[in-house]
Amino acid sequence: MLPADSSRRLVAELRGALDACAERQRELERSLRVSRRLLRAWDPAETPAPEPSPGRASEDPAAGKPASPASPAHGGAAPPRTVRGPPPAPALPPRTPTPQELKELELLTQALEKAVRVRKDISKAGQRSKTASLKSGSQAAAPAPATAVPPGASGRAGSRAAETRPSRGGCRASGPARTMTPGPQATKTGPGLRDQHEPPSADPHSPEVFRLKEKGTLLQLPSAYRKAASLNTRLWTQLSSTSMGDARDAAAAAKNRFLQTLQAAPASSTLSVAEVEAEVARLRAACSLLRLRQDEVLAADPGDWKQEYRRLLTLDGLGAMATECLQRLQDLRTVAEQQPEPWPEGRPPGTPLPCGPGTDPLWHPQRLLYSSTRELQALADLRLRVAMLKQQLHLQKVLMAELLPLVCRTEPPDLALCRAAHSLLCEGGQHFLCVLRDEAEPVD
Amino acid sequence: MGRRRRGSGAAGVGALPEAIAALSRALPGGPSPETFRRAKFDRPEAVPALRRLLLGLLSSLPEDGAADPDGQARLLRSALCARGYPRGARLPESGAGGSRELLLALAWLLAREPLLERLLARARVQLGDEVTACQRDPTPLQCELQARPCPPAHGVDTEGPVDIRFLQWLMGKLQIRWRTLASSQWEHCALLGQIHAYTQGCHSDRELGHLSVPETEALRDPEGGQQLLWRLQCENKRLEAALQWRRCELLFWQWMDSVLVTCPPEEASRPPTPPRLSGLLLSPVSRELELLSRELQTLQEGLREAAGPLRVAWEARAGARGPELEAWQQMVQMAVTRELVALKQTWEHGRAPPQPHGPCRLVQSQAAVPAGLGLQAAELMGVLRSQEACLEEALSQLQAQCQQELARLSGALPGLLWILPSHGRLAPTPSGTR
Repeated sequence: MLPADSSRRLVAELRGALDACAERQRELERSLRVSRRLLRAWDPAETPAPEPSPGRASEDPAAGKPASPASPAHGGAAPPRTVRGPPPAPALPPRTPTPQELKELELLTQALEKAVRVRKDISKAGQRSKTASLKSGSQAAAPAPATAVPPGASGRAGSRAAETRPSRGGCRASGPARTMTPGPQATKTGPGLRDQHEPPSADPHSPEVFRLKEKGTLLQLPSAYRKAASLNTRLWTQLSSTSMGDARDAAAAAKNRFLQTLQAAPASSTLSVAEVEAEVARLRAACSLLRLRQDEVLAADPGDWKQEYRRLLTLDGLGAMATECLQRLQDLRTVAEQQPEPWPEGRPPGTPLPCGPGTDPLWHPQRLLYSSTRELQALADLRLRVAMLKQQLHLQKVLMAELLPLVCRTEPPDLALCRAAHSLLCEGGQHFLCVLRDEAEPVD
Repeated sequence: MGRRRRGSGAAGVGALPEAIAALSRALPGGPSPETFRRAKFDRPEAVPALRRLLLGLLSSLPEDGAADPDGQARLLRSALCARGYPRGARLPESGAGGSRELLLALAWLLAREPLLERLLARARVQLGDEVTACQRDPTPLQCELQARPCPPAHGVDTEGPVDIRFLQWLMGKLQIRWRTLASSQWEHCALLGQIHAYTQGCHSDRELGHLSVPETEALRDPEGGQQLLWRLQCENKRLEAALQWRRCELLFWQWMDSVLVTCPPEEASRPPTPPRLSGLLLSPVSRELELLSRELQTLQEGLREAAGPLRVAWEARAGARGPELEAWQQMVQMAVTRELVALKQTWEHGRAPPQPHGPCRLVQSQAAVPAGLGLQAAELMGVLRSQEACLEEALSQLQAQCQQELARLSGALPGLLWILPSHGRLAPTPSGTR
């Protein structure tokens, strides 16, 4: 067993690491949910139709598995007509349907009824991928329980059509429909996403869904959004540009003057927390930079005597700087130990941003270009690996600080502890060593 | 409005109210311009708004409506002092007064750092799929996944001694989480790639080319889209206000000078020490200092050891030369000193990031040369690989160090064989290298 204070510290560190991972995982899951939902067929209850043009549309409120991520982009079953995608527009006013539309509606209603019947049969199998194609006669099935549209609803096609609100789009013939919107109403109203070349009458098969895979290129952002977004980018670029001319300089001078006047109050000699942290961060940076330079110097091949002399001087200089840093560290420690006063709530919130002193906290629009999914995956992998390594390195240092003294000092040596410590410290917890009693040696 | 015409003509009379109004629009939940004016005259009506604003800026704690004003005032005072605010002693300790001091504190925060920009960046609306291209050097400066070295806020484990096996179990759990993260991330990237590919050509901005997940989501869910639009518009208003304030900033600072002048002079009897560092806070700080001091000491020794043989070689060699040698030596010394001073500058003043730092919007583009638009993933990967190599090297060095320590220990225990997993026997090696 480890002593209580060591235990507490170590457990706290490890738990902190676990929490950081868990948080990252949660964020990822959130993003994953959103992305998966986007790649499925879009839920018609939420997707309004943009324009009151005739056509079928049936959205399948999918609740099933996402489209397999590895499948290559489908060849775009729909011929790309520039049909506007569903903008987040308010509901369009209802209008009277033309006879042509009514006829189409009737035909479509029949098709939908058939769809409902078939869907009930295959809903158990739930093979969504098979039904993706428009041309295929299969249904836009979903593993979602197919709550059937009451057959009587189709009879109300004519009357309903007139009251149609296009914003409640999509065929609700199946699925966990929030509203039991009868088919025809929906088909009337979810037209904008459909390809108009296909006369509804000729196509007895299923209502169609909006899938990003097939119709993603048809989407269009609404103009209000476009304007706002471009203004946003412009403003950010302006804000983050450093030069704003003479006005800026004069303001900076006035600001500094104000600061100086403010700070003319008697300043105490002790450091504040933020300053201590900043100093610690600087020293950490110093340590790593010194080490880097040391590695560079030592890795260089031995050259002639002049180069060797230079290397010697560099190493001496680095050593002197390390000593200086150590001295500063020591001063900092004495300062830190001198001021015990109870803090109301632990670590002061709103501490300076991580990532070192002198960070530019400003955000400005930047882009990261990647060429393929594989590259993106490799990049993300690398980033994760670097983060993991940083965490691991930190944990290693903490473990070393706590465990090594314990292991080396306990008398008689606790072999189990040694074994576990070796595994944690030297093998990253991956492997274990064995300790055997050597019977060949005379036992003393 | 415009009664205080303090602007000394820089941008015209009457521009000060605009400056203050712009500031009030740019701050999140900003106090009204009237509050600012009242605060100059230390009116109590201005106190709650200013205190709320400052607490919101400094503390990430959720605003507690029920918290008493006195408690809030004390909290604010501690927070400001932790940041090094020089006039901490004059801040109010009770909830009642001190609006002028609060105003001065706000001005101090605004002056020290680009506070508005930072606030706006913190709360900004994300329109694209973002990846942080953080390219700092590989010191664990609390980036990303590093364990936060502070006592747990949720004081769950006040348990006593634990078995080391518990630690091993926690480590194992950690590794499983890393793996889960990696696979989730893999999937996420695949989905992102798909979404970007499927929406190519849709974006109004030709340079971006395709939609991002937030944008596609806005199209799928019109309510969400409206929300996004609204948030975007609010942010635009705040950005415009911030830009306007930047233009009229001079007037504001001149006005703040006048506010400072109206303060009563400092009372000498007042004890000037507000709480600085705390006992609770100390242990993580002193532990970090401990770790760091160990590292520096190891470094120092390593440097000394490395320099030793070189010095010996040099002494042996340089015996025969004359005064030209001395001149040359001095020259080399100066050159080396210059280099090392430059090195020191980088950590003293923070390194200017050579590459863009911070979140970047992902753009899928097949173009080979994107007209210098942004960072290329390949470059970033190169940097990350070198960071990875550095970190792995550092880690294996530490592990080797531990190996030596334990080997030394095993050497002290005769009669036992230590068999390493795939290496040879664990024996204390004299030279200490693995």
